[in-house]
Amino acid sequence: MNMITLIVALPLLAAFLLPIGDRAVGSVSRFIGPVVLLINMVLIMILWQKSGDVPFALALGGFRPPLGISFYVDQLALLFALLVSVLTLMLWPYKGDTNPRVFGLMLLLTGAASGMALSGDLFNIYVFFELLSVASFGLVASLRTGAAFAATTRYLIISGFGTVMALTGIALIYTQTGTLNLAHLSALAPQQLDNATGLTAFALILLGIGVKAELFPVNTWVPEIYATATRRVSALMAGLVSKLAVLVIVRVMVLIFPQPEAMQLMLALGVAGVLIGELSAWRARDFVRMLSFSSIGQLGLVFVAFSIPGEAGILAGLAVALHHLLVKPALFLLAERWGGSLSRLEGAGRRSPLAAGLFVLFALSLVGVPPLPGFWAKLLTIVGLVGQAGPLYWFAAAVVLVATVVEVNYLFRFGLTLFKNNEASAQVHKPHAVIDLVTVSVMGGVLLTAMFLIAPLGDQLQTIADQAIDRGLYISTVLGPVGGAR
Amino acid sequence: MNAAELHWLLYGGAIGLIVIGAAGIVMGKHLFRIILALAIAEAGANLMLVVAGLRPDAVAPIITGGIIPEQMVDPVPQAMVLTAIVIGVGIQALALSLAIRVYKAYGTLDMREIRLKMAADIDAAAGVDDEVSQESPVGERPLELPDGVTTGGAGQ
Repeated sequence: MNMITLIVALPLLAAFLLPIGDRAVGSVSRFIGPVVLLINMVLIMILWQKSGDVPFALALGGFRPPLGISFYVDQLALLFALLVSVLTLMLWPYKGDTNPRVFGLMLLLTGAASGMALSGDLFNIYVFFELLSVASFGLVASLRTGAAFAATTRYLIISGFGTVMALTGIALIYTQTGTLNLAHLSALAPQQLDNATGLTAFALILLGIGVKAELFPVNTWVPEIYATATRRVSALMAGLVSKLAVLVIVRVMVLIFPQPEAMQLMLALGVAGVLIGELSAWRARDFVRMLSFSSIGQLGLVFVAFSIPGEAGILAGLAVALHHLLVKPALFLLAERWGGSLSRLEGAGRRSPLAAGLFVLFALSLVGVPPLPGFWAKLLTIVGLVGQAGPLYWFAAAVVLVATVVEVNYLFRFGLTLFKNNEASAQVHKPHAVIDLVTVSVMGGVLLTAMFLIAPLGDQLQTIADQAIDRGLYISTVLGPVGGAR
Repeated sequence: MNAAELHWLLYGGAIGLIVIGAAGIVMGKHLFRIILALAIAEAGANLMLVVAGLRPDAVAPIITGGIIPEQMVDPVPQAMVLTAIVIGVGIQALALSLAIRVYKAYGTLDMREIRLKMAADIDAAAGVDDEVSQESPVGERPLELPDGVTTGGAGQ
């Protein structure tokens, strides 16, 4: 079980050895990254096989929790660690940029993201979060244009202030409880943190970590960054990095802040995100920014889904998050050749029919047309929302439905533009690169497979959600069977 | 000053630093000043964390010559603040290096100008015309009146 640390340590080691390796043997550095990611995938698969469905905890450095830092490995953590490796491998910059620093940053991002998924200590999560931030700053600025530097600077300032807020929240929690171990906190929370101070701490952490999760008031960086970074980096940020931030927020909320006020705060911010994201996407005049704004809307939906109390919320949130994690990177890869204003894309679909077909598939799933997986994710969310008492939840359900109509409008409008009969304009567009098309096709294949396997997948997600919401299990796994407040 | 007052003073100071930093980030126009404001806000958060482990009647948690002090301040937040400071310095260095790159590209450190130039760059790269503002529509103001219509008013 100790090899779980390798999932974090291997990418970090490789990231820092890469520049040296590149000096010595130039061509090797291209292969180190994918090899490390493959090893990671195999390691996680073996661990999942070995541990079965039983979560386990690992005290790092031999210090027992709550003093030492612990890793908590349940199915949710393993799932996200696996997704980190798989998605990074798919979105690896295989061609084009040969700068070894970019490979190093990608590996740094992988290590930090895996650490965030596994860590069971609030301060440790903060450190990994910062590492993830720095790696993403480097990646988004890697095109080295003026606009990229300016966008990264603005992103860095928002993100930096978010970190300050998160750190203040962590400090508030420490003043109340004197511990930062999630299991220990979870045991102490009902007495110590069920008050105004606790709620303030949650709000600060929500906003601070929420910068990366494109949460409503702190998401001004999104359209700028996704428009100036390479498409693969945008895909990685929108697909993966945002979901890991969501994962951390959900972990903190489930374990430490199960108060209804915390959930309603998240719900309100999520609803605002859905409204603003989808309406801005409707007004956007080029494909990339349409995707960026739609990503804000989708992450708002993820927050709305997670704010449903109980395991129904976790299940719906996981479904929406995983669906978005698959669809948005694929759409960003398709945008590689479909930059430029929407009016110039007339007939572009006739030039590369496979890409256009895949776009239609993903658009249908994003909107939620049955029987595609997106439909089930949205259905779970809306059923969960309507099942709650209280006008805020019903309002949220109404907003989600209205947002779907807006989504249909702008996605289908774009789809129709792609298929317009405009030969002159169609000739301008180059067909998609083979590597992009293959990646997107694989993602489309996964989506279609998920459509046929929706029942077993749903059962699997249900067990993951059951485990994730079980606070008693978390506490007893980390602190030993006696557990409780010490 | 008793212990409770001291605590409130320190907490107030920490929150004050964060608020000063936030105000500087929101209202600042110069990129360098914004980065400094970020540093001030970080100092506030770090102070907050140190105060979390503070005991007014205690000494530093250092054991010298085998003598264990009776009251020690909590060492855990101090270790964490050390980490947070190091991370903060790294972020500030990165921010400054990015500021140099931005200055080389755009020739200014005024955030409003940078934002406008960046938006223009992004629009140009996307092939979208500049956004036409609703407040200042195209054409000269005031609009020319159609023939035969005269403005009524005080002058006539």
